[in-house]
Amino acid sequence: MIIPVKCFTCGKLVGDKWEEFATRIKAGENARDVLDSLDVKRYCCRRMLLSNVEIIDEVLRFYEEAEKRKETLNFY
Amino acid sequence: MKIEILEKNDNVLRVIVRDAEVSLMNALRRISLAHVPCMAIDEVVMIDNLSILQDEIIAHRLGLTPLKTDLDNYNIPEQCSCQNEFGCTQCRITLTLDAEANDGTRTVYSGELVSENPEIVPVSNKVPIVKLVKGQKLKLEAYARLGTGKTHAKWQPVCVSAYKYYPKIITPAASCDDCKKCVDICPKRVLERKDDGKVTVRDLYSCNLCMDCVDACPKKPSLIKIEWEKNAFILNLESTGVLPPERVLQEATKILGQQLKEFEEQLKVEQQ
Repeated sequence: MIIPVKCFTCGKLVGDKWEEFATRIKAGENARDVLDSLDVKRYCCRRMLLSNVEIIDEVLRFYEEAEKRKETLNFY
Repeated sequence: MKIEILEKNDNVLRVIVRDAEVSLMNALRRISLAHVPCMAIDEVVMIDNLSILQDEIIAHRLGLTPLKTDLDNYNIPEQCSCQNEFGCTQCRITLTLDAEANDGTRTVYSGELVSENPEIVPVSNKVPIVKLVKGQKLKLEAYARLGTGKTHAKWQPVCVSAYKYYPKIITPAASCDDCKKCVDICPKRVLERKDDGKVTVRDLYSCNLCMDCVDACPKKPSLIKIEWEKNAFILNLESTGVLPPERVLQEATKILGQQLKEFEEQLKVEQQ
């Protein structure tokens, strides 16, 4: 759903690194270099960021649409 | 016992401990994981939650968010003089969060938690708690307290607490036929082949004694030898940021001392 706060295996804080990771990956940087520069060393923490899919963005769209529909209903 | 610091920064402490026993090292390792107290959010009162994540998920995320800990001014609730179910100012701290998305989708970060004590704040301000779309809001009150890792992993002050034997690598002598297999197979790249063909140790402290280089050597018995010093260890602590790692180790030794003292007293009682 949303990036986990800590690594499942070791407990390192990974949540705060997600946004920088995602923007830099989108900009076309190599995932390995980004993870290294974020000081994510162990493979347990690296997979947390590498394998995360922010499904919450997809789910939120339904709520956005519902809100828009409500607004149009009020308009008429 | 001799201690030598290999690496030390805000979150990582790596030391060589000489003339110590395995049992002592293991006790320190386990105590720093499970018995050193630190702050974490324990109870959350949801006042308003219109977000798409359930109350429990948000509470769980808040609980896992590490908080900077002040061990000197706060008590563990079970040992606090107040003995109050709801705690007192000495053993509990209130954090509030009030977030609303007025224009468009936005992320609520841990930095938006308002603490009653400005010293006890999240380690990082950038941990996403939840995402809100326009019109949704989140309002809550969270109570943080000291706890230990044996109760819940959110109270673990360290994420890595490990020790290993101090490695001793005996590199092949000149009679080696220079196949370089031991250098190539090492997962930690401990070994290195010099220009003159001799295999030397590049990074001794990385060696994890996996013995792959010994197995890879085509000569039997193997020309390269991996051994370890019996009474020397490399202790590696990585803090989550709640406490400096050296403080965690100091607390661990203190707790070990207390436990031994208690054991001794109980033993005296038994003997009488």
